[in-house]
Amino acid sequence: MKPPLARLALLGALCLLPTLACAEQLLRLPADTDAGAARPLVIHAALDLPQARPLLEAFHRRHPGIDLTYRNLTTLELHERFLAHPDEVDVLISSAMPWQFALANEGHARPLDSPRLEAWPAWARWRDELVAFTFEPIVMVIHRELAAIAKPPRNHAELLALLNTHRQALAGRVASYDPVRSGAGYAYAMEESRLSPRYWDLVAALGGVEAELVETTGAMLDGLKEGRFLIGYNLLGSYAAPIVAAAPDLEMIIPDDYALVSQRLAFVPRRAPNPEDAGLFMDFLISMEGQRTLAEETSLGAIHPALTGPGTATELRERLGDALRPPGLGPSLLAGLDRLKRQALLARWQREFRRSLADAERDALD
Amino acid sequence: MNPAGSLYGRLLAWLTLPLLTLGALLLLQAWLEARATADRAYDRLLDAATLAIAEQVQWQDERLWLDLPPAALEMLAGDAQERVFYSLVDQQGRHITGNARLPAHPGENASSGDTLLYRDIEWRGMALRQGIRRTRLEDWRSGERFEVRVAHTREGRNALRLELLRSNLAGILAMGALAVATLLLAVRAALKPLTRLRHAIRARDPRTLTSLDLDLPRELAELREALNELLARMRRVRANQERFIGDASHQLRTPLAGISARAELALRRQEPEEWRAALETVHSTSERTARLAMQLLSLTRLDNPEYRPELHPLDLNHCVRQAVRDHWVACHQASIDLGADCLAAPLRVAASEWQLQEALANLIDNSRRYGARRITLGVLSAPPRLFVEDDGPGIPAERRLLVLRPFHRGRDDGEGSGLGLAIVDGIARNHGARLSLGESGSGHGLRVELRFPEALT
Repeated sequence: MKPPLARLALLGALCLLPTLACAEQLLRLPADTDAGAARPLVIHAALDLPQARPLLEAFHRRHPGIDLTYRNLTTLELHERFLAHPDEVDVLISSAMPWQFALANEGHARPLDSPRLEAWPAWARWRDELVAFTFEPIVMVIHRELAAIAKPPRNHAELLALLNTHRQALAGRVASYDPVRSGAGYAYAMEESRLSPRYWDLVAALGGVEAELVETTGAMLDGLKEGRFLIGYNLLGSYAAPIVAAAPDLEMIIPDDYALVSQRLAFVPRRAPNPEDAGLFMDFLISMEGQRTLAEETSLGAIHPALTGPGTATELRERLGDALRPPGLGPSLLAGLDRLKRQALLARWQREFRRSLADAERDALD
Repeated sequence: MNPAGSLYGRLLAWLTLPLLTLGALLLLQAWLEARATADRAYDRLLDAATLAIAEQVQWQDERLWLDLPPAALEMLAGDAQERVFYSLVDQQGRHITGNARLPAHPGENASSGDTLLYRDIEWRGMALRQGIRRTRLEDWRSGERFEVRVAHTREGRNALRLELLRSNLAGILAMGALAVATLLLAVRAALKPLTRLRHAIRARDPRTLTSLDLDLPRELAELREALNELLARMRRVRANQERFIGDASHQLRTPLAGISARAELALRRQEPEEWRAALETVHSTSERTARLAMQLLSLTRLDNPEYRPELHPLDLNHCVRQAVRDHWVACHQASIDLGADCLAAPLRVAASEWQLQEALANLIDNSRRYGARRITLGVLSAPPRLFVEDDGPGIPAERRLLVLRPFHRGRDDGEGSGLGLAIVDGIARNHGARLSLGESGSGHGLRVELRFPEALT
């Protein structure tokens, strides 16, 4: 599909993305020797360590007898490594929802036997095999300098208007995901194109301001911090939130007309070596304790319906109501993985992105 | 309870057996029907999903192109969150796109329009239902044929099938319960007259032999009639017995009264000669009475239907010779000519020797009492017969049956007991032989013949 060089670049970029904690990809929480024979548990995830650590430590405090190995990988590495060795890992966590869903759909996941699952929202689980346990909105981040040009946009419609009216001023100062090179960018493009036909106008407008197409949220955040970009479009909220909180120049906006939501999906592989302890971990992920840790110590967003307050889906829903669009755990996710569908969508995307450019060239010729 | 041992059990077993068979067949049918219905319902989803996909297939850049509609996959997933697989295959069988390389279906193409095929498949350890649509592009540039294959797991179908089966099962069970209840009531009602009959019989005074008068269904009415016939026979037997007892007591009373009178008369006298004469009379009368009592005893014994004498092979010639030997002296003293007419060869029949001797003794005694001067005993073969012939007065033909009844005498002279021929008749019956009375060869006198059923070789 992709030339190896591009894939390498993608891997490198994904590795750079967690600038927050790229230094350490592996976390080990050894078993408490007093608690009897060590019970190994191997977790592979596409979830950065600073976000994962509080969760893992809380779990380990509750089950000190478990010898926990946590490996943070990119979504692509994670997927390919699992397909190569489906029996080495006990819990698989990834934000690449279509891929996770495809694995479960093909029967790679083991049905969970947890009474907590009954109380878990139906839209956040599939067949008792696949569980969504985070709630991460996709956001816009703007630099304060934008205020000199125009009023900051609150939603997609205002962004479209802004891009169209200030094409010259914003040229080269808007950043977004490149759907061709980034899996996440492709997934968002796919979702948005389904949500509204006006998305294509937005793509054309992005093309009109010659938006910089990058591969990671991290790259966008770096550019925004440096002031190279004034607007970042479609950043992963959970990564942007701590950076924005630390940078007074930046502001995070969750669009109020519609906001995509990304979720981490976790499952226990059918051939997991330690399915019982894996079940304990899954149970912890959806437990009150685990979810409270998510809400209070990470920016991942807790789903548990009983939890309220900052960092929870309940609070976001109260604020944004129906504008939040979690993708829904269902086979429509599979459509995103279809080879022809991807080619068609990317072809359209590129065509729309170059539309205003082509219009300008035609105007120039005339 | 052994079902074969009770009418209730038997009826129940034979009625329940077809009921159970029917129930099992109904269940089987309900199962197959539920499966077919569930498949029909869910195959429509396969139909719709393949159509939704097929409509998005286009001819682009000189090849098949599909803009996969996500809704088609959602349709396949349904409420049961089925696993979903799809693939698009061109007319050469090449996989164009899809999340699984689903197998081809061997089915033939329909004669016109789209071909729709469904089947159950086992794929990578999963039980799937596969739906296939074979169609062609409706494009002015190309009419390329292609095939859309979809498959999903069977959870929804199985759930629907169970639900259908459960509702059917409830109906079948209710029907079964009703049938069993009706059956129990019906069998009970059908057997009720039997209980009534039993109660009627049990409630009867054991001494009454009057016929049963009870309104019963036809089958039991036959039983009632048979029972009434038996009761009638028993009534006759009892009447006979009562007459016999009356006769017997009468017979015994007469000589005893004679003895008593004679003794009383003698006691008034003083002469020893008178006493002696009286004692002789008493002696002879009491001897006769003793004989009578003995005869009564043997007659009751012979008449007892429970009594089965042991029969042994016996030569009739030997029997006749023995009788002549036993009675010759007595007859000779009374100047009676007692003779035997035996066969040269032995003739064996199954018989009880003492009974035959008793019969012959009775017949000889009878002939002597009625004044015969000559008595001939004899044996004839084929069929084996034993006869006694005399030259006495004989019995008129019209009275020959009557004399076989106890206490019936040819004459009223106070000598015989009237039991002799009845005893002979009883012995004949015990041997399965026929007793016949006739005229002797000389024209007068009696010939009594015992005809045995067959000779032993």
